[in-house]
Amino acid sequence: MALPQISSADQAKLQMMQEMEIEMMSDLYNRMTNACHKKCIPPRYSESELGKGEMVCIDRCVAKYLDIHEKIGKKLTAMSMQDEELMKKMSS
Amino acid sequence: MAKAPESISLDQLDKDQMKTFSDFLMSYNKLSEICFTDCIRDFTSRDVKDSEEKCSMNCMEKYLKMNQRVSQRFQEFQVIANENALAMAQKTGKH
Repeated sequence: MALPQISSADQAKLQMMQEMEIEMMSDLYNRMTNACHKKCIPPRYSESELGKGEMVCIDRCVAKYLDIHEKIGKKLTAMSMQDEELMKKMSS
Repeated sequence: MAKAPESISLDQLDKDQMKTFSDFLMSYNKLSEICFTDCIRDFTSRDVKDSEEKCSMNCMEKYLKMNQRVSQRFQEFQVIANENALAMAQKTGKH
């Protein structure tokens, strides 16, 4: 794949987008860790090892969190696209 | 003249190191907060009790282990998501 020539302004934009995405990902990760800690690790620390149930819970929690994240993202984009169309119709 | 690129990369290194360091400090603070709220409930005495200290240490170790597991699973999902995106791109590219 030959990349088309990109102007430096576009390149800067692209880099900013990439940085924003990385920032977003790390925010997602932190929130997910927080949520799964709250939901899966009871605040009784008689042991330092993760229990079997806790491990299973964490695995499911991560999977579910990412599932919901994706679902909400899809719904959100669909809704905002609908909104935009409506606004266009209203203004025209 | 030959020094210019080197100093730029050094700046970059510093920036990355600063980021890593600040991330570390942030997680340190968060860990303290979590383990303090979960383990320290008794304020009838000024001293940290043995049981409270034990709880805090377990809390810290457990949290780190949990973080490790979460990051493993997260990476697995990202690999799958990347593969899916690649497959989609190839599919739409062929049409």
